[in-house]
Amino acid sequence: MLLKIAGSIIVILSCSFLGFILSADCKKRPQQLRELQSQLQMFENQISYLSDVITDAFDRIGKIGGSETSVFFSETVTALRERKARSASEAWENAVRNNIKRTSLNREDEEILVSFGKILGSTDLDGQIKNIRLTLSQLKLQENKAEESRAKNENMYRSLGILGGIAVVIVLL
Amino acid sequence: MKTDMPINSGNIGKANKNIMDVLPILSGRIAKLIEKFAYFDQMQLEEIRLRAGKPIIFQNFNTEWFADQRGNLTRNPSEAFIVSQEDIRVTVELMSENSVYAYQDEIKNGYITIRGGHRIGLAGRVVTEDGVIKSLKDISGLNIRFSNQVFGCSKKILGYLLKGEADIYNTLVISPPQCGKTTILRDIARNLSNGIAEYNFKGIKVGIVDERSELAACYKGIPQNDVGIRTDVLDGCPKSKGMLMMIRSMSPRVIITDEIGNEGDREAVISVLNAGVKIITSAHGYNISELKSRREVLKLIEDRIFERYVVLGNSNGPGTLVEVVDGISMKPLRS
Repeated sequence: MLLKIAGSIIVILSCSFLGFILSADCKKRPQQLRELQSQLQMFENQISYLSDVITDAFDRIGKIGGSETSVFFSETVTALRERKARSASEAWENAVRNNIKRTSLNREDEEILVSFGKILGSTDLDGQIKNIRLTLSQLKLQENKAEESRAKNENMYRSLGILGGIAVVIVLL
Repeated sequence: MKTDMPINSGNIGKANKNIMDVLPILSGRIAKLIEKFAYFDQMQLEEIRLRAGKPIIFQNFNTEWFADQRGNLTRNPSEAFIVSQEDIRVTVELMSENSVYAYQDEIKNGYITIRGGHRIGLAGRVVTEDGVIKSLKDISGLNIRFSNQVFGCSKKILGYLLKGEADIYNTLVISPPQCGKTTILRDIARNLSNGIAEYNFKGIKVGIVDERSELAACYKGIPQNDVGIRTDVLDGCPKSKGMLMMIRSMSPRVIITDEIGNEGDREAVISVLNAGVKIITSAHGYNISELKSRREVLKLIEDRIFERYVVLGNSNGPGTLVEVVDGISMKPLRS
């Protein structure tokens, strides 16, 4: 009997834990989208006022850190410095594709980021700024959508976890 | 002409700084081709030219070479290494550090200064809007010009410029193209700024207005050429505006600037003198009388602005001193 109770508790705890992870993930995506926007905003300021080259600007953004999305920037810098990529666009695309799994961003976000890289560094300042603004507005839309689904799903996942755990215990008992 | 010079005969010593400076900005194929040149110092390369679909060409002061596929110098164009459009594209991308937007003004002017002070000239299709050059695209030709500092090349001239221990004469350096005008000005700047023990001359504050980034060759604002310890540089600034800015901001004792003679330069020079600051500058020309055909310079000569004229020539190699003329009496001090 004791064993059964212990087993049930473990099942309930792990299911709730799973629910909490999924619900935390819902919260993370809008947050990371917001961080990306502020990082791109920083990039815009750096190229328009300081006329920084991509490696310098991205280096600074990457070093501020504190965000899962910083790695896109720092990895682009590494690839460019070590001449592993033939262009800034290629370096950025690789950095995004290789690291997107480690963030909570979804496929749509990934495509927006990759298309941001398409003309990265290869036009004049006006072109760069227009590109950044376009990406910012797309990310804003994604953020709104993510925010909506967070409101819907956050609690659902959490309660689903606990209830699911209890359901499993009842069935097994 | 020596055909096998110097790749097969050179002594391997320390790497040539000029070549090492340009390797990081060249496309992989070309970097690999010229890597080994770095160890042949006596080539004294002045230029490397890359043109899409044409052979790569190396040039020093009197000879030009091609390179074959293995990177050996040759004078036979039929076996020459051909530069591809892709090589040019990658090189442009690397020299602008993948950030064309940060170099758009330089590209508009047709050249970029890279680390080490070397300049890369660009040729391609010009995009204009209302008659103003907007940018340069489809770049098809690159000219890598090495900056060669010649320490002490103004030695013979300096004596004529000094007025006592801490003052100098307003000077105009006159020289035909390719005769070392800029190199001499740079050496003058360095010496005036550091001081010259030989003449017991104490260093003075020097302000360089470097409109075309040639004198100090700044890369990200930092002079890549040694222009002395008491020297401030305004990089990429129009001369006439820059001279006034420099006086107000850095209070130099002397202003040094290259290639005077445009509209508005005269007023700027006069305001420099009114502020009690000396000026050393240069002009294209073969002699003083030829300069008089240029209006802006003629007025400066008539106003007796310059106290010394230094005329350079090419008879004994670049930087040969032809004569020094006293600007007030117009009598030669040395010829």
